[in-house]
Amino acid sequence: MILPAIWMAAIVYACEITILSIGFTLTYLTAKIPNFAHGTYAGWGIYVTYTMTKILGLNPYLSFPVSFLVGGAIGVIVYILVIGVLGKMGGGAIVLTISTLAIQIFLTATLYIYAFWIRDIYRTYTMQFMLKDWDFRLWGMQGIFYVALAICIVTVILLHTFLTKTRLGVSMRAVAEDPELASVLGIDVYRTQLYSWFLTGGLAALAGSMYPMWFQATPGSGALIITTIMAGSLLGGMESVYGAIVGGFGVGLSEILLTKWLQGIFGIWVGEYRPLIPMFFLIAVLLIQPRGLQGAYEWLTKSKRGIELLSRLGIKVE
Amino acid sequence: MEMLAVIGSGVAAITGMNRLIVDIAMYFGLFVIVAMALNFQYGNAGIPNFGCAVQVIVGGFTVSGITLRLAYWLVQKAGVKLLPYQTAYDWLYNSQLNVVTVNNFLKNHPLVGVSLLLFSIAVAMVLGAIIGWVISVPAIRLRATYLMITLITMADASQIFGRNIPYICGGTLGIWIPNVFAWYPGDRGVITAVVTLAIGLVCFFIFRTMLNSPYGRLMRAIRENEVTCSSVGKNVVGIRRNILMFASAITAIPGVMTAYYYSYVVDAMYQRAYWTYWSWLMLILGGPGNNAGTFLGCALVIAMRRVIIVYKWFFDKILFFPISYFEQILLGVLLIVVMIFRPDGLIPEKLLYIPGVNYTKLVREKVKVDWRTAPKMRLAGKRRRFSLKFWRR
Repeated sequence: MILPAIWMAAIVYACEITILSIGFTLTYLTAKIPNFAHGTYAGWGIYVTYTMTKILGLNPYLSFPVSFLVGGAIGVIVYILVIGVLGKMGGGAIVLTISTLAIQIFLTATLYIYAFWIRDIYRTYTMQFMLKDWDFRLWGMQGIFYVALAICIVTVILLHTFLTKTRLGVSMRAVAEDPELASVLGIDVYRTQLYSWFLTGGLAALAGSMYPMWFQATPGSGALIITTIMAGSLLGGMESVYGAIVGGFGVGLSEILLTKWLQGIFGIWVGEYRPLIPMFFLIAVLLIQPRGLQGAYEWLTKSKRGIELLSRLGIKVE
Repeated sequence: MEMLAVIGSGVAAITGMNRLIVDIAMYFGLFVIVAMALNFQYGNAGIPNFGCAVQVIVGGFTVSGITLRLAYWLVQKAGVKLLPYQTAYDWLYNSQLNVVTVNNFLKNHPLVGVSLLLFSIAVAMVLGAIIGWVISVPAIRLRATYLMITLITMADASQIFGRNIPYICGGTLGIWIPNVFAWYPGDRGVITAVVTLAIGLVCFFIFRTMLNSPYGRLMRAIRENEVTCSSVGKNVVGIRRNILMFASAITAIPGVMTAYYYSYVVDAMYQRAYWTYWSWLMLILGGPGNNAGTFLGCALVIAMRRVIIVYKWFFDKILFFPISYFEQILLGVLLIVVMIFRPDGLIPEKLLYIPGVNYTKLVREKVKVDWRTAPKMRLAGKRRRFSLKFWRR
């Protein structure tokens, strides 16, 4: 069975957005800020893969764990140098958010400089590239399709196990709920925050290193998908990792499929307006249900009218 | 007119260093308006407006989409023949020749030029206020972070519309704008800079009056504690919406002036990275909450940036990458360093001036605190590391 290319592109993209949205939501839970630099971590993942594949001549899939580590290191450095210091000084959510904007600009600029440096040394194109030719083929389809799906599913399962079964994951959730109460119970809040920033940075870079295997990548493409990430996270409710999984996958899938569908109806020019689709989701969620899918779920299962609606549909809630 | 000719001829030959000074003055005028409006919103009312780029782009689109058509129409009514401009192709293809014709007309009709400028500013302010109302609808009742997310995506969306609809600003190619200062015999850049600085001065006095009025005190009260304000009967959401609308209207003016300064509009001129991030950098650098700090931060950032751009040829010879990326790194690091080492900015916030009340004495009244209950709070006020206050005591 061979899927059409557009479906494969949509699924690969949706997997990346899912992983990125999970990380964005985790940051929002633990640090209470929207991290605008989250997409730029993915940009670093793209260039780790590029360096290992085109410069060192290795298999691109070998670079995935490396980019996870690099992204985690960037996240930890960002937390130690900027977010942690500002948080300790008592900066509010707005101050921290502005600092993440500064980090985004800093990281993107460093990435551009790195790309120029590589171009000067190796005399090859570094600004726009795709790594499709380095991929393997299995049953008539690109390998990244299977790998992206597998990574997405494994990440979700591992994350669920980590957050519910391990001590560190439980303490991470406790810190997200109430840092002061968690520290009373003997949890090292700073250290837990460090682990969570490592995890989010690593996941973002891992998603980024999948990006050039199917799509055309530039140093700025990591920063560009931040709108989609935020839309996915907001659709999931901003405060629920499980919501982010559904929301990220939905927004990523619909961004490509909806564009294709609308192109079939109105003409090819709709493709230019593709970034408006996540924005449409964002505004719609804010207007209809600001707490996203999580809020809608709670409304259905907890409120009187929601239960009435469900029972009319034939679904019973205990 | 003779007087003008004398003034104009004195600065007719502007090159080299003088051009740099005009450029810095122009950019200072543009950004000080944005930064002051931002100070009005964030520094005093606590509304984190991350959508300055949206409001500025509205000003630019007003000039290219509305004023340009009005100018064509007026010139045609006056009996001057223009090339066709109705279809998208003609609109772009004949733009340059049409603008030259319009400029020749405006040279002899200064009143038309001035009224075009005033018209575009007025329309931009109205549209800016409408945009302010639109962005306040989905997000103003919610948390500040939601507002930030919405505004940042809106800035990107507005650029997409400008890039893809040629009727607004010529799509990717951009469109030429007539010179409304064609009657001025001297350098066009100088008069644009002077007009922009004058607008900035007017805005400064408007903001100062508003901040020292009862409404300004109400704004600060909302920033400090909105729950208390709403409990004493103030309509917090309505006041916030009004502030956002007013400041958005003011923020649209720099977009208009940028279009006239370059005589050209393209969507890439109004990038989010420039208009939003720099204005925030200026605000944080100078210190939110007072206009003097905004002026200082704006002057520092603009001077540094324009000097880097003017000496770009020198840096590009010794570096392997474009200097603009190094400049971005510099500005990013600067913001974080200021936030960490001087959280209140270069000039900290001052108390408001209220005629007839010694407000300073009221606030600085000694309050007895038992420090044993909260020993760390004693150090809370001494967080500033390099305080400038020593010479005031």
